[in-house]
Parts: sequence; structure tokens; C-alpha cells
Amino acid sequence: MTKCLPKTLSVSEMAVSDMIAALVAALPADVDAAAPRPMAGGRKAAERALAAINPVAYAASRNHLDRAVTRLSPYLRHGILSLDEVRNHALAKVADPRQAEKFIQELAWRDYWQRIYLAHPDRIWNDVEVYKTGFDASEYDTELPADVVEARTGVACIDQFIAMLHETGYLHNHARMYLAAYVVHWRRVRWQAGAAWFLEHLIDADPASNNLSWQWVASTFSKKPYIFNLDNVAKYTGHDINTRMSDNRVLACSYEQLSELLFPNLEPAHG
Amino acid sequence: MADLIWLHEGALRRTHPVFAMAAPGTPAIFVWDRARLAAGHVGVRRQLFIAETLAELELEIHDGDATVLLPQLAVAHGADRLLVPASPDPAIIGQLVMIRQAVPALTVEQVADTAFVTLSQEPDLARFFRYWNKARKAALRPHGV
Repeated sequence: MTKCLPKTLSVSEMAVSDMIAALVAALPADVDAAAPRPMAGGRKAAERALAAINPVAYAASRNHLDRAVTRLSPYLRHGILSLDEVRNHALAKVADPRQAEKFIQELAWRDYWQRIYLAHPDRIWNDVEVYKTGFDASEYDTELPADVVEARTGVACIDQFIAMLHETGYLHNHARMYLAAYVVHWRRVRWQAGAAWFLEHLIDADPASNNLSWQWVASTFSKKPYIFNLDNVAKYTGHDINTRMSDNRVLACSYEQLSELLFPNLEPAHG
Repeated sequence: MADLIWLHEGALRRTHPVFAMAAPGTPAIFVWDRARLAAGHVGVRRQLFIAETLAELELEIHDGDATVLLPQLAVAHGADRLLVPASPDPAIIGQLVMIRQAVPALTVEQVADTAFVTLSQEPDLARFFRYWNKARKAALRPHGV
């Protein structure tokens, strides 16, 4: 359930310093309110993040959880920075626009999601297409299991990603895809439950980017379901993520084995 | 014509074109609308991030239902035009409809942000790469034109 400001602040005009103090007090008990947070609010913080971007390095390592990430997403989500100014800034940092293409393409994804949100707002919470998993939507649970919410699934890397989400309000995009795929395909939970969970916790959560990305993973807005295996997690994460086979058994399979296990109603792929 | 700017949580910057549309010195208001934040699953961390951003913006901040407060604030400020950063959020769009109904004399205008790309035709949104194939050329140019 969303935690909101205490009712004692329910007067019409508000002092922002009081709001901030009340919100800091409302942070989860396990968060050190005095510790620097990965992304502070405000235009000044946004400009510092923008000045630090390296579009060339981003293109080379964006899929790795321990390499270059821009952390611009909460500033874009809340219009503190515009897509136009971030793109222009990226272009000014490279000799040839193609060097910034991967970075700009990620900005384009956000523009794409927003265009869908405006043109088809009904797609944000409804399946755009049917699941291509061999299951009907009615065969998926509508609620997140308690062990997922409490980061005690017993799958070590998944529990670490859930803990990161809860403790920092931020996850690398690749970790978001792993978690979404685990929830929808391993636990057979409807994507809407996971999307609402992410919206609640992510500082940069945007209904369009978030929910349509969950649909992309689920296959209700893509040609096939997105899945991953432990080798993929090990390839893209650093040493701080536990990728030992013994601690992640349900992920320690080939893609063929996982497809048969997770989607038994589908015909095996050939060729 | 007197204006009032309603800045919402999707457009928290002073360089948004909504400010250029208004007369210099036009007051800007943010409404801390708990019901809309809760309906949008906005958790405490994101609320804190928004509050920190508001601290730099030097706005009037009001606590309550935007559909109730904004008509009252428009009257209090003597405004006959409410300028709002354009949003795809159905909750905000729905609130604008209710404000128009509450104060028919108040003109309500949504102001678009600077475009990421300007395209001659509406792109096919069925899949990302159909959009990207049309948008790529402009996207790799300054100002997306």
C-alpha cells in the first residue's frame, strides 16, 4: 500500500521543507535517511547527471549491471529534463551522431512509450495482445506471491534484485527484465501485478515505460515471451550478485530446457 | 488576460514551454493531490524525489484535490486562463475536464513539451522498430527535425 504524507499536513498551502521532513520520516525503517541516495530530486542534480553522460561508453556496456548507466530516468520521467535537451547534449559530446545512436535510441523508446500512452491509454493496464506462452491470461495469478514481495524466493540473484528494488528505488534495466520474466513466467503471475509493484517502488516509474515493458516481457506486446537463464545473469552482472548454480537452480538451464519447462503447451522450436 | 500555470508531477522544470506561453511573472502552482498519487502507485521514495524537486522550483504548493483547488485558485489569482504542461496521463486529462466543467469561463490550455522528433506522418506504433525506422533520421539531429 502506498505510504502518503501524514494527515497532519492536510492544509491547503504546504511548506516544502515540512513535506520533505515528513517523507524522510516515512521511508522504510531499513533505509538510512542520512545516507546519500543514488538519485536526489531537483534540476541541479539532473544537470549533474546530464553532464556526466558518456554516450560512447553507454553503447559499449549498457547491458552490464556494473558498468555505465546514466541514471537520467527519474529526471526524464518527471520532466525535469526533456528528451530533446538530453539528445542535444549527447550529440554535442560525439564527433559523429552514430556514436550516440544507442543512447539516443533508448531516449526514443521513452518517446515511443509516451506516444502509445497518449494514443491508446487503455493499453497501459490491459493486455495489448494475447500471451504467446501457451497459457490463457486466466491461468495467471492476479497477486504477487508473498515470497516475491519479501525477497525470499530462494533464487539468490532474484532475491538480491528484489532487495535492491526495495532498498534503493532503482534497478538497472536488465535487472528489471530478469525480475519481470521471473514473476510472469517462472511464477505465472499476471504482468499487471508486477507492474503495480514496480510503480510503487521505482523512483523513475512511468506507467507507459513500465507497464508496456512488462507487457513486452510477458509477450502481450511482443512476438514471444522474454526469458533468461543463469548464464545470462552471470554474463551481465558483477561479483556482488550471487550467480552460483546451487543457489539459483531454477535458472540454471539451457534456453531449450527452460522453454519446455515454462511453456509446456507450446510446440518446440525447430532449426 | 491573466494566466495561472498548473505544474504537475510530469513536468517539473522552469524551462518547460508552458512558462514561455504565459506572461512574465505568472504564478505557478503545484497541487499535492494525494488521491491521484495513490491511484498512480506513487510510493514514498518517488514522493520524496518530487518534493525535493519542488524545493528548487519556488512554486505555490497546495495540498488537496486538484479539481477542487484549481478553480478556487484561479479565482483567487484573477486568472481566466489555466496553462498546463500537456500530459498523456488519463488522470490529469480527466481532472482538466472536471475543471473546465466547474469553471466554464476559465480557458484551459495544454502546452506540449519540446518535441523529441518532428515527423511528417503519425508513425506506426505497433512495434518499436517500425516507429524507430521512421524517427531515426530526425532523432540523430539536434532538436529532432
